[in-house]
Amino acid sequence: MIKIENLNFSYSKQRILFKDISMQLSNGHIYGLLGKNGAGKSTLLKNLAGLVYAQSGKIDVFGFDPAKRQPAMLQQICFIPEEFHLPAIKIDSYVKANAAFYPHFDHQYFADLLKEFDIPVGQKLIDMSYGQKKKVIIAFGLATNAKLVIMDEPTNGLDIPSKAQFRKIMASALTEDKCIIISTHQVRDLDNLIDTVIMLDENKIALKATVEEVTEKLCFKRVKELDETVIYAEPSLAGYNAVMANYHQEDSKLDMELLFNAVLTEKNKLKPIFN
Amino acid sequence: MNNTFNLHRFTLLLKRQWLEFGKIFLITLLVATGVIVAFYGLTLLPLEELGYVSRRLGFREPLFFIFGFLFISIIASSYFAHLGQKSKAIIDLLIPASTFEKFLAGFFFTSILSVLAFILIFIITDWAFIAYIKSYFKTGNVKELADVEMFFNKNDINSFAPLYLAPFTVTSVFLLGSAYFNRFHYIKTAICVMLFSGAWTYIVMNSVEAILSNKTPINRYSHGKDTMEWVLFAIIALFTLVVFSITYVRLKEKEV
Repeated sequence: MIKIENLNFSYSKQRILFKDISMQLSNGHIYGLLGKNGAGKSTLLKNLAGLVYAQSGKIDVFGFDPAKRQPAMLQQICFIPEEFHLPAIKIDSYVKANAAFYPHFDHQYFADLLKEFDIPVGQKLIDMSYGQKKKVIIAFGLATNAKLVIMDEPTNGLDIPSKAQFRKIMASALTEDKCIIISTHQVRDLDNLIDTVIMLDENKIALKATVEEVTEKLCFKRVKELDETVIYAEPSLAGYNAVMANYHQEDSKLDMELLFNAVLTEKNKLKPIFN
Repeated sequence: MNNTFNLHRFTLLLKRQWLEFGKIFLITLLVATGVIVAFYGLTLLPLEELGYVSRRLGFREPLFFIFGFLFISIIASSYFAHLGQKSKAIIDLLIPASTFEKFLAGFFFTSILSVLAFILIFIITDWAFIAYIKSYFKTGNVKELADVEMFFNKNDINSFAPLYLAPFTVTSVFLLGSAYFNRFHYIKTAICVMLFSGAWTYIVMNSVEAILSNKTPINRYSHGKDTMEWVLFAIIALFTLVVFSITYVRLKEKEV
C-alpha cells in the first residue's frame, strides 16, 4: 500500500508542481499516470522512489519513508527511468553485479523475458540500441520481483511489435502483491493494460478512477450531432468522437486519449460526475 | 535487516562499483604509470655517469608529491561525478544499499585503494629503474645511489605527523566536490580549494602577526614532537572528518 498525504512539491518558488496532493495506491493494480508535459508525472514517480524530497507532506511506501532510501525499501522498488545509462558490460555481468541486491530475483524469469523480447544475450549493453537496452532494463526490473514497479515512459524507444510484447508482459507480471505505476504521454500504449487512470493537471490530481468507474460514469461513442449531453467531443470523419455522461448505463470502450483531453478542457463538467 | 550497514551488502556493492568505477580507476592508474615511467626515462636515460644519475634523482620528491596529489584528487573527483547525470544517478541511488555503504565504498576506492595503488606503482617503477641503473654501473659505487627505501627514509613521514592525514584530506575534499557539483567537478573543487586556502592563509598569517608580534620566542630549539605539531594534526583530522561528514550528508540528500 502506498499513501500520499498533502504532498507539496516545487523545484523553485516560481515552479510549484504539487499542491496538497493526497491519494492511495493499492497492490494488485496497474495505474496509468497521465498528464501534459511538465505536469509532474516523472516528479511524482521520483517522490515515490525517494529520488527527490517534497517540501511538505507525507509519503508512505509499504511502511517506509522513501526519502530515507533504506535498503529494505529499495529492494521492493523497481524503477524504470526514461533516461538511463547502462555500463559497457555483457548482460551476464550486469546481472551478476546487480541481481544479488534483490533477494527475490528470478533468473529464469529474466531469461524468459529476454527471450520474449528477442534480446541477444551475448552482446555488450553499450552496443545495443536504445530500445534493446530499455527491454533489458524492463526485464531486469520485473525479474527483481519488486512489489512496486515504477515505469516512466516505458514504451519510448520501443518499436511497434515490442510495444505489444510490453503490454502482454506487463499484464502477466501483475500479481496480487504488486503495484505497477506507468507514466506516459503516449496514452494509446496503455490501452487494455491499466486498470486505474491517474491524471495530473494544474498541481493537482485531476482524475483518479478505475477504468470500470470511468466507463460506468462516462460513455465514449461516435455521434453525428452534438447535444447538451456531450461533455467533450472531437471531430472525426463520421461526425464526432464524444464523451458523454453515461445516464443509460451503456457499455462503451474507454478512449484514453479522448478522456485525457476531456479532463484537461472540461474539468468543471467532469468534477461533479467523479465526486 | 540492518538498514545502515551489512557486510554482505557492502561486499556486493564493492564488486558492483568495481565494474563501473574500476575501468576509470585502472585507466587512470595506467596513465599514471606511463607518466612516472616517462619521467624516470626522460630524466635518467641515456645513462652517462653514476654521480650525474645520482644527482638527477632529486626529481623524485616533486614527482611523488605533486603527481601523487594529482592522481588521488582526480580519482576522488570522479567517484561520485556520475550522480550529476540523471541517467546514471537514478539507477545508482536506487541500488538497495544504504547511503552509508555507498559512502564507505567511495572512501575505500578513493582514500585507500587509490593511495595504495599510487605508492605501489611509484615503488615498482623506482625499484625497476634503480635496479637497471645498478646493473648498468656494475663497477661503480652504486651504494651512493638512493633506492626507494632510502627515498622514503629521507622523506620520513614520522618527522611531521600531519602528513599521515594528507591523502585523506585531499581525497575528502575532492570526493565532496564530486558529490556536490553536477558538472566540472575537478575544476570547481580546485577553485574552491584555492579560494579557501587563500582565505585561510590570510587569516592565519594576520592572526599570528597580531598574536606574536613583539613577543620573545621560547623553546626555539626544540626538536621533539612539540605541541603545535599535534594541534595541527588534530585540526587537520577534524577538518577531514567534517568534510567526509558533509560528503555523506550531501550523498544522503542527493536529488535527481
